[in-house]
Amino acid sequence: MTSVYEHLGPNQRLVRQTRADSGRNSAFRRLLRQFLLSDYFVLYLTLIMFFTSAYFFPTLSTPGNVANQLQNMWPLLAVAIGQTFVLILGGIDLSVGATMGFTSVIGAVLMAQTLDPAFFDKSPLWGNLMRPEGGLLAGSALAVPIGVLVMLLTGTFIGFLNGFAITRFKMAPFMVTLVTSTFFAAFALWLTQSRNISGLPEAFVELGKGDIISIYLGPKLTPEIARRDILQFVTYPFVIAVGLAIAAQFLLSRTVFGRQMFSIGTNRVTSDISGIPSQSVIIRVYMFSGFCAAVASILYSARLAIGQPSLGGGNLLLDIIGAAVIGGTSLFGGKGSVRGTFFGVAFFVLLLNILNAMRLDPFVIDAVKGGFILIAALLDVTRSRFINREQRA
Amino acid sequence: MRRFAFIGLASLLLVAALGIGLVGSVFAQDTTICFGFQDLETEFWVAGHKAITETLRAQGIEVLEYNANEDPNRQLEQIRECIAQGVDGIIIIPQDGDSAVTIINEAQAADVPIAVFNRPPNDRSRGITVVADNVSATEQAVEFMAQQALVKWAVTGTTIQPLILVGALQDTNAIGRRDGFFNVINRYSEAYPGLFAAPIEVATEWDAATALANLEAAITANPNVDFIFTSSDFLFPTIRSVLEPRGKWVPRGDANHVIMGGLDGDATACQLIDQGFVDATGVQNLFLEAELTMNRLLQAIADGETQPNEVLIDPGFALTAASIQFDRSDMWGCVLLDEGFLDQ
Repeated sequence: MTSVYEHLGPNQRLVRQTRADSGRNSAFRRLLRQFLLSDYFVLYLTLIMFFTSAYFFPTLSTPGNVANQLQNMWPLLAVAIGQTFVLILGGIDLSVGATMGFTSVIGAVLMAQTLDPAFFDKSPLWGNLMRPEGGLLAGSALAVPIGVLVMLLTGTFIGFLNGFAITRFKMAPFMVTLVTSTFFAAFALWLTQSRNISGLPEAFVELGKGDIISIYLGPKLTPEIARRDILQFVTYPFVIAVGLAIAAQFLLSRTVFGRQMFSIGTNRVTSDISGIPSQSVIIRVYMFSGFCAAVASILYSARLAIGQPSLGGGNLLLDIIGAAVIGGTSLFGGKGSVRGTFFGVAFFVLLLNILNAMRLDPFVIDAVKGGFILIAALLDVTRSRFINREQRA
Repeated sequence: MRRFAFIGLASLLLVAALGIGLVGSVFAQDTTICFGFQDLETEFWVAGHKAITETLRAQGIEVLEYNANEDPNRQLEQIRECIAQGVDGIIIIPQDGDSAVTIINEAQAADVPIAVFNRPPNDRSRGITVVADNVSATEQAVEFMAQQALVKWAVTGTTIQPLILVGALQDTNAIGRRDGFFNVINRYSEAYPGLFAAPIEVATEWDAATALANLEAAITANPNVDFIFTSSDFLFPTIRSVLEPRGKWVPRGDANHVIMGGLDGDATACQLIDQGFVDATGVQNLFLEAELTMNRLLQAIADGETQPNEVLIDPGFALTAASIQFDRSDMWGCVLLDEGFLDQ
């Protein structure tokens, strides 16, 4: 049996082959484009990194490690969502770390069950809000709900101060939030005389590490299952951070407020001319950023079971902004999503997990992390440029 | 197509770089110890880190090192990661006594034995805690300084103005050192009224930059300070940078000499005692503490003890201008100095 192909002349065969190659190339190119320019690119990259690394280092894929890394994500996600909103506006919030530290102290001052005079008798709050028998709400059944509410309101208020100064006094967000950061970080240290506040109520501590659904994978060989073998699956931080993320994504993508944010971030002047209440939107976005920082503060303070004036210091700000940018949020404004930030946080947490698993010298891990973030950010910038070109074409 | 190829190549590089690193790092050893510490800003921590990691590795034990960069939340995450990786034991240098309690509870809940090196938790009832007797070591050093002050007071009749550089007070080491300082000053003040003026406290937060700014301000406001105790020897260079321009960084025997002491017993302190600038330092026996930490933890692992609770005390001692020629070999800082540590 002879095929039709064999009856064709040499030129016809060449044309057919070129068309077939072209079709295959075209399909490959389409697939590649879909992969590289997808909104889920960072997620794909994260998954590839995970499976590649897990092949070489199996402990990365153990259920215990995966559950642990997920728990590490939630507080960072909470604070990174607020930063994403600010970045979409074309601003930046350098005060989130100090907001976390300050709200942590305020909450602990209210909720602490006991306070040691030897530690706090020089605090300006001693004798008023702080006493040997605890904070103002010590012993009250409403200590935790009121304490948490005050923390959230305090964070939101700091955000309001930022937004107000930026819009009314036309000050640069960088400068305003830097000043706020310095002020509230120092204020927190002064209030506590640089001491952590321990003795927080158990109900508050549960917010940081309490689990709603835990799972155990494997046969039950002993009457009691060791705690280390029980995996935290759905925890309070998970519910709080994911709930916040869903609400934020809704706000961003399904409301007029969200569209106004993108408009202001893309072009403030045009937005003003179009009648968008820029000042009000900017103030509300910074308030939301402060709120998110307070949520993160609750999660971090609760899991360490202390009010910590230095909370949010160190490299955390780099992690927050890095996660948002890796997730595709533009530092120039007008672009970003909560979904992308979620992927960025996952990438960030996984990257650190992999670098630790690689047994790198701990003194070079941060440098290597910085290098990877740079590559990822460059990659994202290049992708964004191509996407824009495609859209224009 | 080239642009997609570029992005694809960059992505591939990112993943490949990780892969290459992983290939080189996959190995297995019988016992694994997780060692979580903070930034090693002082000679004491550098030497302690070296003593622990090198000794453990010399015994064929795999050591997973984690630097928390002075962030207790990060340290908690790192310890959880260690637990998830199934390590046999954990050694930590915590950021403060409060977070140490939470981290110890986390490890013990997962049945992993844990030891705390030198910076003790506020609740010492759980975990292996190896700690210097900060109060005693400080008292011994300040006692020698007070005797020098007494001699000076007897000669000049001028009240001595003491100053203490206080560490971060959420650290129980800092609290113990401050207490030891005040115990001696108060005792001498009661015995010899008029010997000491009210001490000046300068906050350092265990940070050289903070210490410099605050000490500069304190000395400017009180130029008569002639008795300085630093809660850690790593601040001697900071003190020098403040005193030297004022002509007060001079050795013993000079009328402008500031009676000076510290605590740790590092190589710089040893050198400064040799040179006469420093009068005394309380010595933490670093090598003993490292040995106690490792031995007790390894014993717990060998015995299958998952929640060992014990406090092991390093009594410490004072190395003074009078005793350095006799006790030199017992001070870890002098040993390092003689090995050329400061020349590296």
